[in-house]
Amino acid sequence: MPAEEMSKLTGRTRLIFAASSVVFLVVLAISPFKDFRREWKQYKRSYLRFAQGRADTKKLLADYHPDIDQIWLPEMNVVDRCTTCHQGMTQASLADRAVPRAFRAHPPIPHNVRDWGCTVCHRGQGPATEVAEAHESTLAWEQPILPTRFIQASCGTCHYADLPETPQLTRGRELLAELNCQGCHRLPGIERSAMLGPDLTNIGTKVKFRLSETELRGLSGYLSIQKAQAVVPYKIDARVVGVWSNNPELISQGELRFRQMFCSTCHSLAVTRAGEIKLIGGDIGPELTKVGSKVNPDWLIAWLRDPQDYLSHTRMPRYGWSDEDLYKVTQYITTKLTDSDLLTGVPQLGQPTEQEIQLGHRLFLEKGCASCHSIQGLNPQKDFGPDLSALGGKNASDLEFGVAKIPHNLVAYIQAKLQDPTSVNAAARMPQYNWNQSDLDAITTALLSMKGPPATSALENLVVPSKKAVFHPMGAFGEVYERYKCYTCHKFNGYGGDLAPDLTYEGSRAQRGWLVEFLKNPQTLRPTLILRMPQFNMTDKEAATLADYMVMVLQHPAANPARIDAKQFTPAMVALGKQLYEVKYQCQACHTIGGTGGYVGPNLNNAGGWLTAAWIEAWLRNPHALVPNTIEPRRNFTEDEVRALTAYLMTLRQSISPQKTASTNARHVATQGSGR
Amino acid sequence: MRFHVWISVLLVVTLAGAAGCRKHAETAKGDPLLTAYDTEVDWTDAQHVIPLSYEQAQGKRIFYQQCVWCHADATPAGPSNRSNLTPVPPLLNDGATLNAESDEYMLNIVTLGGTAMGKSAMMPPYGRMLSTGEIRSVIAFARAIAQPSYQPPARAGSQYSAK
Repeated sequence: MPAEEMSKLTGRTRLIFAASSVVFLVVLAISPFKDFRREWKQYKRSYLRFAQGRADTKKLLADYHPDIDQIWLPEMNVVDRCTTCHQGMTQASLADRAVPRAFRAHPPIPHNVRDWGCTVCHRGQGPATEVAEAHESTLAWEQPILPTRFIQASCGTCHYADLPETPQLTRGRELLAELNCQGCHRLPGIERSAMLGPDLTNIGTKVKFRLSETELRGLSGYLSIQKAQAVVPYKIDARVVGVWSNNPELISQGELRFRQMFCSTCHSLAVTRAGEIKLIGGDIGPELTKVGSKVNPDWLIAWLRDPQDYLSHTRMPRYGWSDEDLYKVTQYITTKLTDSDLLTGVPQLGQPTEQEIQLGHRLFLEKGCASCHSIQGLNPQKDFGPDLSALGGKNASDLEFGVAKIPHNLVAYIQAKLQDPTSVNAAARMPQYNWNQSDLDAITTALLSMKGPPATSALENLVVPSKKAVFHPMGAFGEVYERYKCYTCHKFNGYGGDLAPDLTYEGSRAQRGWLVEFLKNPQTLRPTLILRMPQFNMTDKEAATLADYMVMVLQHPAANPARIDAKQFTPAMVALGKQLYEVKYQCQACHTIGGTGGYVGPNLNNAGGWLTAAWIEAWLRNPHALVPNTIEPRRNFTEDEVRALTAYLMTLRQSISPQKTASTNARHVATQGSGR
Repeated sequence: MRFHVWISVLLVVTLAGAAGCRKHAETAKGDPLLTAYDTEVDWTDAQHVIPLSYEQAQGKRIFYQQCVWCHADATPAGPSNRSNLTPVPPLLNDGATLNAESDEYMLNIVTLGGTAMGKSAMMPPYGRMLSTGEIRSVIAFARAIAQPSYQPPARAGSQYSAK
């Protein structure tokens, strides 16, 4: 081979070698370069620069090292590398909004991040080291970060009991129970209550069957024949009724009685105020705005006389009103609380045919009515809808989105399903509800909290169970207690409603004589309250039975009558107490005596006739020992001050009649009107 | 010459491949209202909704239990007790009055009561009822809803500003 060709070849080979070396070098460099450019390493370096630019560098970099940080809690299944990037998490000085979001300190919460990790509350992928994989749902990693506005769902995965810190979750759980979702769905922690829908066994005696739409002809036919138990509508002598019905003021007197019974404490009426339709009244019982178009007058009298006879588990009390009053109220309800437009366009139904009844029976079962309503001869269906006890932990791939154009994630699915059940499943039988945004978010939160049984035994130990309490005493007290359904509004040992004061320790608080008077003629203690205790027209014996039981049983250990003797109060103590009340502590900021003072706390005009000295004394020492949620702060009174204030308050007495207020007027009318 | 072309193509492909492999992480820039623990409607402007952190949300809860009766004009029970008091207490969102007070002063007057701080005895002490953390959360809530809005005092180390 000639030398020049040789050198040309060598030159070329060298060039190839040189070029390939460069290519290989570049290829080799890609890997360390990519490693250097990893997202989490960039965050690490950026935190380092950030910390060096601050005054407290040393503190911020105390645990800094350039590797992956990890919170590993094997017993809880937690492998969280979130702190690799979120390095300022535990640095209190980084709470500022000016700090970049990734490095900002975690806002103070009851749990320590080091002990719990991040994904227990925030979800997302703990072991991931890339922003997208950690936060969003990808093909391989399906749990996205839970949006902060639903974060209370995570509290609910362990805390089955309600927490004051999570109002949204509590509201969501209330909604699930209120709307009877457990009628069709299995929901953990929410039991099927006795009262789902009303028992329809005798519905044919209650309803004028013209409410239904044409297509439900069969159903209404079927329901209208439900008169299994021959309920004798309570009949009042026709001649007596004849005399009553001639009363020209019948309706207006009926309306007055309706108000005096304080029906609005539990039932609401729609009224138009300033062009806006508003519901006024409570939500324990159904709204009554148009009830006159629904019920038969005969049924209504029987119901008002004894609701518990028609529906044994109703929460409505049995009033002691006279037949004449009940007649007037019934006349008022059936003539005034109606809607004449409601029934236009609804065809008059004749006697239902056998075919229609068959159809109705089938529809009743198919549409799931039997899940909540019972009818004689039909067993209530349980678990008619899907089990929701593990819904909150589902991956997007487990869900059917149908043709819905929504983001494929659990939150969007739940909200779409709640707003329009047929949007994700055309064959859904679930009714459509009208939510406002806050209720929709609350119920979404409650559903997201239901992640099924805890995954590990360690998590199982963290579950805070909700307390189940019942209070159904026996004996004479129990009888009166059930008759007036005290627990619909009041709480006893953790059982009962929230509308009215907790009576668990009422026997320590109130004097017996006052209790009897109050039960016979309830007057409000707090002028700002709109919802009032109804006038039951209790007999003396019933009031005495209730008062005796309360004084004997509903006692608090902190209110000790032996600790204070009212006989030892001296005028000097009373004078000191008055001065403390008016000048030093200025209790009139919240309490009223005479005509002046605030109305945050109860009116104290009759404190001496109402409260026991032992209760006042214990209350002044520590109100929260007696009523944990009371808003009165605990003060730092000396022994002498406690005694002096007690002595002063015990001198405050007011006889019951002098004030001319609306409620006393009502009482007079009520006593005259009642036929007992 | 072909070699030169071949080599440069190889180089370009390698680099392009390397660049293409790099993932672009999208940082989700959420609506502050959606990433808030809770919200409060501005008392002076119903259209303006203020996002609240966990701490501020706890402050809001405590405020609506304890303080709303005298430090707001509308209460859950309807009328406010504010007009019954002399001197009339400031509204919680009264930035003109409260922004000038330090967090420490606010903590003290809630904990020890008005008398201890030379103010009205009608403000009771809450130190034996609420924890310091709870009182601080109420202050945080007051700062969040203040009108005009509250500017925290400059602190050492807070000169760093986010880009």
